[in-house]
Amino acid sequence: MGVLFGNYLPELLSGLWVTVQITGVSFVGALILGTLLATCRISPIPPLRAAASVYVEIFRNVPLVALVVLVVYGLPEIGLNPGFLPGVMLATTSVGAAFACETLRTGANAVGAGQIEAARSIGLTFSGIMRDVVVPQAARSVIGPMVTLFIGILLSSSMAAVVGQADLTYTASLINNKEALGLITFAVAAAAYAAISLGAAGVGAAAEKKFRVLR
Amino acid sequence: MRTTARSRVLATLTAVALSTLALAACSPEDPADEGADEGGGDAYTELVGSGPVADDAAVEGNEWASAVREAGVLTVGGTETSELFSLLDPTTGETRGFDSGIQQMLSQYILGEVNMELQQVTVDTREQVLESNTVDTVIATYSITPERAERVAFAGPYYSSQAGILVSTDTTDIQGVDDLAGRTVATQANSTGVTLLEEEAPEAEILALPDHAQALAAVQQGNADAYVIDQTLLMNAVVANDDVQIVGEPFGPEDPYGIGVNQDSDAVDFINTFLTEIEDSGLWADLWQLTIGDRADIPDVPTPPTPGDTGL
Repeated sequence: MGVLFGNYLPELLSGLWVTVQITGVSFVGALILGTLLATCRISPIPPLRAAASVYVEIFRNVPLVALVVLVVYGLPEIGLNPGFLPGVMLATTSVGAAFACETLRTGANAVGAGQIEAARSIGLTFSGIMRDVVVPQAARSVIGPMVTLFIGILLSSSMAAVVGQADLTYTASLINNKEALGLITFAVAAAAYAAISLGAAGVGAAAEKKFRVLR
Repeated sequence: MRTTARSRVLATLTAVALSTLALAACSPEDPADEGADEGGGDAYTELVGSGPVADDAAVEGNEWASAVREAGVLTVGGTETSELFSLLDPTTGETRGFDSGIQQMLSQYILGEVNMELQQVTVDTREQVLESNTVDTVIATYSITPERAERVAFAGPYYSSQAGILVSTDTTDIQGVDDLAGRTVATQANSTGVTLLEEEAPEAEILALPDHAQALAAVQQGNADAYVIDQTLLMNAVVANDDVQIVGEPFGPEDPYGIGVNQDSDAVDFINTFLTEIEDSGLWADLWQLTIGDRADIPDVPTPPTPGDTGL
């Protein structure tokens, strides 16, 4: 423990920072892209619905490891080179968006059909219905599942280690190779992941209390 | 359908013929660089043929060499799949490369003509085939290590590998290990490359990737500025890809390749005499130039290691 924190605290912190960056960017990206996809999936335009469904089915069913390798080494072959760290973020975002889309769609479906009818009858357009009726209520009911998605993305960010990016997992394994400290390094890394997850769960619980839907 | 003995024989023969065809079809690819010397042709055969022959007294005074002469053929444990060191040419059934050249010259040194039989060995079987005397010697980029030296005896070293630097052919500002500072350098995560880079190029940004293919792709796609690993591995990459090159002097600890023989044999001194002869006559340098230098575009012939100086 002394060796670990005495010699490697800067490395561990910078690893943690990389993990936080990947998780933050991917989660925000997944929310934005997921909202767009969910809107497409419940829109009245069939081609949009189909395209969004295809996207979700593809990215929900590709193992993230395979996707990371495809993005990082495959895209440059067709002239797009995101680089390693942005490539990992892109892969995690793409998968996260598929799950975010499904979560949001479920939330939107929870909004009563009667409310949609009512909104239509007072002359609201599709975008108006989404903005003023569906999204505010759907967003509240999906806070719990979104916390779960956030934790999933946090744990997925460890895929960065596969392509040599020095995130928390990679740093732990590197320190372990050098110092042979055994499980303690990984225990520290695991504790850091758990702390972030618990923090996210706490934020989610508070938000749920605040924005509870009155039905 | 009743299977008669005859149709069984026929079926077996057909299966054997088909699998032979299939194996022949799986021959290694031709090297992609058309412009380079193919490391062979008549130049190779001529070079090997111009090797020395031991005088009778030397062979008769050596138990191991006498046994080889008695058998009329040198049985060597080696490989058929090493691009630069020993690659099978399916059209002739002969292997060519730096190791092959050493094997063929050694057989001529003992027998007066090139006559050798290659047994394929793997990393796991090399000590085994020497201990059981299945082969006379193993010449297969066989690194000398203390652990192996407990089980087999090593003549040589006849070649020494170190870490090298591979960059894309567009890269001009990396000429050696000192230029790696501040650059992204790929290496293999499970190799000694990480430690080596930390010592030799402490300012470099290390990118540890799972395997050779990924590290090579990282350089080719511009995600890494250089790739540092054992130079033998890099040379194979250069021969197979024309968008990468090796730069600078090899650096770091030396990895000596030895010629493995049975621990109870008296072959070590005999083979070391042979190695000293081909090194002193310049044959070693010519063989290196033809099989490695010309094909991997490395201009300077390295200094051959001193046989007997195994570092153990």
